[in-house]
Amino acid sequence: MADTNAHRHGLEPFLASVESAAEARVRVGVVSDRGFLTLRLDPRNGAATAAARILGQPLPPASSAYTEVVHRVYWLGPDEWLIETGANRAAELISELSEALAGRPAAVNDVSGGHVSLRVSGVDARTVLAKGCTLDMHPREFGPGQCARTSLAKAVVVLSVADDAPTYSVIVGRSSSDYLCRWLAHAARPHGVRFSILQDT
Amino acid sequence: MLRIPCPCCGERDEAEFRYGGEVPGSIPQTDVGDEAWADYLFARDNPKGLVHERWCHSHGCGQWFHVVRDTVTHRIHAVYGVGEPRPVVDCSNESQADGGR
Repeated sequence: MADTNAHRHGLEPFLASVESAAEARVRVGVVSDRGFLTLRLDPRNGAATAAARILGQPLPPASSAYTEVVHRVYWLGPDEWLIETGANRAAELISELSEALAGRPAAVNDVSGGHVSLRVSGVDARTVLAKGCTLDMHPREFGPGQCARTSLAKAVVVLSVADDAPTYSVIVGRSSSDYLCRWLAHAARPHGVRFSILQDT
Repeated sequence: MLRIPCPCCGERDEAEFRYGGEVPGSIPQTDVGDEAWADYLFARDNPKGLVHERWCHSHGCGQWFHVVRDTVTHRIHAVYGVGEPRPVVDCSNESQADGGR
């Protein structure tokens, strides 16, 4: 892709200044080179099947769930999904989806430049996230495979559980990402926190 | 702080929602005159008791829906989607005033 700026997370100044704890019970990884698409369609008219064929995986039909096969597809609303994929796949996926959904009431848009993907893990990850989120984050209520668009501190995020280590995925608007990382650094300081850059995972 | 049961996402904190105000009556005919239009657009009942109001889960699924809330007790009696018929709400043990139309 010619415009590499679109996929830069822009957190370099923060990452250069943040202190790392010697013993980290919370680790925050900024995932680089991620691509994001929003997909909006009416799931009742066959468009969901057409989209699923291109994606190689079903759209999560149930609320508060995501599917992960080739890409990660998060349920955001009854007619809205967020697709997370590699930055180099986004453009190709858009043209394939647009072609498959042509003529139907559907929209697919590249929002890669507007989102930052974080991975929050470690033994105290849940405790720290629960400080800023009103969801019930007990594993019985919010476990692997589940996602929710909700508020974390004062930012709107797509929060999901990647595994029961636990590892949480936090997708946040790019303009809120610096704020949210500073909030995480502050909230996790008593637990020991280390920030890093993760390559496309 | 209210806990509002979103029809899509389940119970969430009030801070995730945008308030859309009391549901007005039906849209008047175009020839009814300014007074009826102004009444439809701006006047609300603001009852003490049950009120049908609109909420949008703006920090979640983004959907608008209706809530039947008691303005005295803050108890939420029912939620229903856009275009769904108004549910029958039994409030025999609550405040008696009914603002629903």
